[in-house]
Amino acid sequence: MSASVELKNASVTFGNFYAAKNINVKINGGEFFSFLGPSGCGKTTLLRAISGFQDLSEGEVLIDGVDMSRIGPNKRPTSLIFQNLALFPLMSVADNISFSLEVRGVDKKKRRSRANELIELMALDGQGEKMVHQLSGGQKQRVAIARALAIEPKVLLLDEPLSALDLKLRQRMRTELRAIQKRVNITFIYITHDQSEALTMSDRIAVMNEGEIEQIGLCADVYNKPLTPFVATFVGENNSIDGKLTEVSSNEATISTENGSFKSCLNNSDGKYSIGDEVFLFIRPEALELAKNGNFDNVIDINIDTFEFEGNIKNYFAKLGSNKKIKFSIPNSVDTSDIHSGSNIQIGFNKLNSVILKKGQLAVDT
Amino acid sequence: MSNRLINYSLIFYIITFFVFLFGPLIIMSITAFNSADFPRISPWDCLSFRWFNEGMVDYVGQHQAGLLTDQKLKEGFYNSIFIGFFVVLLTVPIGLAAALVLTQINPKLRELFYSLSIMPVLFPGVIIGISTVVLWNRLSGLSDEGILSEVGRNGIFLTILAQTCFISTYCFLIFVARLQRFDRSQEEAALDLGATQTQVFFKILLPYLAPAIGSSAVIAFLASFENYNTTVFSILSDRTLTTVIASKVRLGITPAISALAFAIIVITVLAVIIYEFYKRRVDRLKKIEEQTLLASQSSDSRVQKIEIPKINFIKPLSFFIIIAIILSILFTQVLKNNLYGDACIANVEEEKKRKIEEQRKLEEEKFKLSEEDLQSGNKGGNSAFGDIFNSDLFEY
Repeated sequence: MSASVELKNASVTFGNFYAAKNINVKINGGEFFSFLGPSGCGKTTLLRAISGFQDLSEGEVLIDGVDMSRIGPNKRPTSLIFQNLALFPLMSVADNISFSLEVRGVDKKKRRSRANELIELMALDGQGEKMVHQLSGGQKQRVAIARALAIEPKVLLLDEPLSALDLKLRQRMRTELRAIQKRVNITFIYITHDQSEALTMSDRIAVMNEGEIEQIGLCADVYNKPLTPFVATFVGENNSIDGKLTEVSSNEATISTENGSFKSCLNNSDGKYSIGDEVFLFIRPEALELAKNGNFDNVIDINIDTFEFEGNIKNYFAKLGSNKKIKFSIPNSVDTSDIHSGSNIQIGFNKLNSVILKKGQLAVDT
Repeated sequence: MSNRLINYSLIFYIITFFVFLFGPLIIMSITAFNSADFPRISPWDCLSFRWFNEGMVDYVGQHQAGLLTDQKLKEGFYNSIFIGFFVVLLTVPIGLAAALVLTQINPKLRELFYSLSIMPVLFPGVIIGISTVVLWNRLSGLSDEGILSEVGRNGIFLTILAQTCFISTYCFLIFVARLQRFDRSQEEAALDLGATQTQVFFKILLPYLAPAIGSSAVIAFLASFENYNTTVFSILSDRTLTTVIASKVRLGITPAISALAFAIIVITVLAVIIYEFYKRRVDRLKKIEEQTLLASQSSDSRVQKIEIPKINFIKPLSFFIIIAIILSILFTQVLKNNLYGDACIANVEEEKKRKIEEQRKLEEEKFKLSEEDLQSGNKGGNSAFGDIFNSDLFEY
């Protein structure tokens, strides 16, 4: 049913510009895999290369171990769900869904029954005879998925299909997509710039930047143990503090900054770090807690600047020293009545909840 | 105040514009109903439909054909339809193919290809007509008999080719405009779902282009039907409607042409009215659909009432009724004053004959009179050159 997809040294160039450069990734059969990256990072190019609309300049695409270089998009065992869905406006929902069977010469009766099957699977009962423009956004989404699943592809490719939906619908469709993937048990390759979408649905994630893959890993690993400053700041929010290493052991290090020395973890260090290296210390806003509420490996003195209420959490923006800012989030349930704008307080974090990485490009300017 | 002024001047402008646009057509239509042998409104002879039917026989016994009895006109009309049909058959696929090539071609060549494709529209039609004739004259001269010499001297065949030359560009432009709005991801989606390029063309692209195919066919047919400047050369010894009309104008125009114009105007107006009704029906259905969709998707408290727009027959109907009343009043007046029918025509012709006779008599009398004068020698002399060279001419 499902097939593995492998990209080997895959590059795509447009003129002298690398849209994707030297991509190596193996996606297992039945996996929900996401490419995550900012717009223009080359993730859509990769998807088009897998589906066959884009020729690789170098390298190869293997689906179930078979080289796809001479196989057109209509002969590959993949189905693509477009960003704009690309439903056929002149056909009914049922005709849309059974289009792939129609072009393969399947007779009308079988087409009809398969379409009905999928209409039921996608909870679109009673919508089969409607035209596409008569459906709501979420229904269109499901028709697009049903259409892609009609010929039972081995790999389903999704190009930001949820980006046009409103928040509530998007959240529901996330759960639904994940459930559908488990039900039909085929390989899903998902493209998105929304890190929460990637994290909630995927088994594994590849984070891309500037045409290259920065990190491939399980969702939790990518979030908790980023390998590059870009990943650390692109996936979720992160505070970065720059400094120099003063102490290095196998998986721990001490960084000295303008605001004091902190102890933290090293990921996959393998002796790459030595004393005196210019590094970043990354701490997630939710890893920072009020120092009075526990014992912490590191404690920072800060001066509260502004405050933001988000519902489940409260975000505080504080001044750290003269020119740096730091953000920390506290659950709504924690009492913060004594924290006001301008108050000087202490916050702390444990070394396991932070990470030190060599200086490099950040996803956002901090 | 000034607002009202603007309104009035706007209305004045609109009326002037429509008079300018439709005035000549209306005048020409009216002349079709005058029994006179020249298209005119005044002096009005009789109300008559003879220019739609048999025409008339004039004083010297020559038959002036009416619309239905004019064989040349009929032949030209059928030829025009025949040519138009084949022009549509050729131009629509050619225009479509060229438009598709434009979307597929290398962007660097696109500009050049586009310029080349629209060039036939920029050429004067006369040149297209002449060059077609010149080329096929040479080609048909290559052999004395056989299909090439037959076809190369066939005006209808040459006209189809010559018209196709520039009309396919109209079709091309229509298809380009439609294709520019085509969502290429639909094509990719179909390919991705396993369709071949041929299937994409027939199942996705062609249905999308259907309205453009319809409108380009109509425009191609009309352009072919009304074309004169290319056709007049390429048609050789055959004739189309436009060349017949043109030659009639040259040889002496009759109200039969007005009758033809009236028939064409009526057909056009009817087509517009039918289209308008059809469009309103479609709009209405669409609106109903939208309303029910909106109602089904939102909670009951938000939907006030599904409003189904009604087709208003009363307004257009009353318009037609008013026109019918005016026409019937006019007609009864015409009947009352004995301005309709064979009797009237006979009267008028009798009158004309009488007038001509009178005129002739008057002329004759004048002539006689002057002869008497001449004989008396009072006015002019009897010798050569009216005596102007006589030396005593100025002596009194």
